[in-house]
Amino acid sequence: MNLSQGVRDNSYKIINIEMPENIERRLQTLGITEGSIVELLNIKKNGTLILKVRGSRFAVGGKIASGIKIRRAEGES
Amino acid sequence: MLLEGKLHPELKSGGQRVKANLNVGFVGNPNCGKTTLFNAYTGAKLKVANWPGVTVEKKEGAMRYHDNTFKLVDLPGTYGLSSYTMEEQLTRQYILGDEVDVIIDVADASNLERNLYLTLQLIELGKPVVLALNMMDIVTERGMEIDMHRLPEMLGIPVIPVSARHKTGLDILMHAVAHHKENKVPVTEHQHKSGDNYFKHEKYVMVYSDEIEERIDIIKAMLKKKYPDLKNTRWHAIKILENDREIREEYPLNTEGITDKKYEKAIINEKYDFIQEIIEEVMVNRNEKAALTDKVDKYLTSNIFGIPIFLGIMALVFFLTFTIGDVLKGWMEYFLSAISDKTGLLLDLAGAGTISKSLIIEGIIGGVGGILSFLPNIFILFLALAFLEDSGYMSRVAYVMDGIMGKIGLSGRAFIPMLLGFGCTVPAVLASRALENPKDKLRTILVTPFMSCSARLPIYVMFSHLFFGNFAMLAAFSMYVLGIVIAILAAYIMKKISKESNTGNLLIELPEYKKPNKRTISIYVWEKVKDYITRAGTTIFVASVIIWALLNFGPSGYTKEMSESFGSYIGKFITPIFKPTGLGQWQVVLSLISGIAAKEVVVSSITVLCQGNVSGVLTAMGFGPLNAYALMAFCLLYVPCAASIVIIRKETNSAKWTLVSVMMQLSVAYIVATIIYQVGSLVL
Repeated sequence: MNLSQGVRDNSYKIINIEMPENIERRLQTLGITEGSIVELLNIKKNGTLILKVRGSRFAVGGKIASGIKIRRAEGES
Repeated sequence: MLLEGKLHPELKSGGQRVKANLNVGFVGNPNCGKTTLFNAYTGAKLKVANWPGVTVEKKEGAMRYHDNTFKLVDLPGTYGLSSYTMEEQLTRQYILGDEVDVIIDVADASNLERNLYLTLQLIELGKPVVLALNMMDIVTERGMEIDMHRLPEMLGIPVIPVSARHKTGLDILMHAVAHHKENKVPVTEHQHKSGDNYFKHEKYVMVYSDEIEERIDIIKAMLKKKYPDLKNTRWHAIKILENDREIREEYPLNTEGITDKKYEKAIINEKYDFIQEIIEEVMVNRNEKAALTDKVDKYLTSNIFGIPIFLGIMALVFFLTFTIGDVLKGWMEYFLSAISDKTGLLLDLAGAGTISKSLIIEGIIGGVGGILSFLPNIFILFLALAFLEDSGYMSRVAYVMDGIMGKIGLSGRAFIPMLLGFGCTVPAVLASRALENPKDKLRTILVTPFMSCSARLPIYVMFSHLFFGNFAMLAAFSMYVLGIVIAILAAYIMKKISKESNTGNLLIELPEYKKPNKRTISIYVWEKVKDYITRAGTTIFVASVIIWALLNFGPSGYTKEMSESFGSYIGKFITPIFKPTGLGQWQVVLSLISGIAAKEVVVSSITVLCQGNVSGVLTAMGFGPLNAYALMAFCLLYVPCAASIVIIRKETNSAKWTLVSVMMQLSVAYIVATIIYQVGSLVL
């Protein structure tokens, strides 16, 4: 599944980022990397969401979110 | 308080270079309080210039530290040091150059994990780094603690806790800078969990796994051979392994079989792994107390309440601008008319002639003073915008508005320049550079001038008071709404024409909410107010004198008969074109033309043109509330000022798009004013 299919108030682990290089680099610089745990704080109908990763919050558009592949993270933090 | 007396902020302005023993660069993530800290040292005495070749602001200040002069440079906020954004490139080039001696890395202690990513990269660059841990008060508030003994041990650099807000630790930080200027290899006492190659590389703070370290060594050797003069080969080797565009182009190497996509990712991940180790060792009571920010965000970014709350906040901002601003404006007007009277008396005493008295009283004091009386309104508006920005709310607006903006083919982030457009079009157009997509940026630049900037405010205040009585505030507020509607409509039409839409690419940090800092806000507001006053003293001064000359001189020389003046001839010549818009009075037309220099000039011109009695002269010409409303709308929509044309030319880098922008503004203004006047005439 990808991040835009996530459910509010759940945590996920990023397993892959499938985005053009420049966007992937920007995500990496912000700490949104493969293997990191993200918490979904809010999500809108159009897929735009707020996530918390490594203690920072980011608003991420639906297109970018759908390129971030995730799986449920349970018991991990 | 510690700072006062000992460290005298001192800046010799006027463009001359300050004699500096030490150049200190401030680097840090956006929203880490870097600028607040910088301001704490330099105060408002800044030299603001642009970085060479780009329009990103470069702030410089200077201070005395014992017998030394430190030159301080505030670098743009950046998350990393790759070459993918302009801020990152600028920071990197500046540090790599020989201009900087010591780097102060400002980190938000309450958000240490992400901030340390930049720290590790700065340490790798090889220049002396001092880590300033800002916002320690927030850390304590949340019941967390940072092991201040262990952190410098692991990073190998001095770590100084500071509070930019409360001005603590400032002296000690500069002390550390003075003593850390020697470029020593950091001493660390830490054994990395990852990789067992640390014996070989123990002198480095950031040690990668064996596989990567081996490759770094190979590339290093290649670099040394091919570029013997290159400093800090390790950093360059890491960047080549990371496949950094800029460094690869600058130092081409055949690294086939050495570099690989997987190492790029591994370098980043291993840095974060190390940060994880640091955090685990130095942070005590992490996440003990849920951040207030999340609770507040439940409402402010709520899918249901988000937009209504935003609209409510904006309504409050304008309400304050008009009510409080108007009270203060009354005092200002009283003060200005006193000056005008006193000057008149003085001039009579000095035996000044009619022409010079008319020039000073009607031309200069009437024109420039007319503008200055709106200073209180402008002050309140910028105060409110500064408050929204410094509290951390501004970036939430990008998220809240992302849905609506998506419908018109723009990212939510494009809403920030539009919102800043309420303050001034020039910085708003500049802010559009935060949009990565060039087409997004262009469309945002084209619609931003429709947002009603503060220079248009005097026009609304003047005409709504004169013609709308009790409904003055409503009439003025409706201009802001009209501006937003036109901007959205324009963006929508552009989306339909270009058939392109770039949505879903929003990416913006939502910083912790914080109590806005007095100093940061006062400096921000002071800069804007200073701008306004400077404009009053330059552009508006010149425009007022020109208008006065056009009105008092005619083909037969100096004349008291305004209808015989050059101004009236020019106005009357163009007036027929403006007939359908309800603006067929030559005084109005002439002030609209002069308003292209700067919007406030419309007010000063019309004041000079009507010799102070605007409502009397205009009413006598059949100019009523409907004409006034059409005039306000026209002023809202046509070219904001000459400076906006220049900045649009610079930012679009295209004469064609600048022309499109100007023509669009003029025709939209003409069409909307005509519709208002014609439809209004039918209905009323």
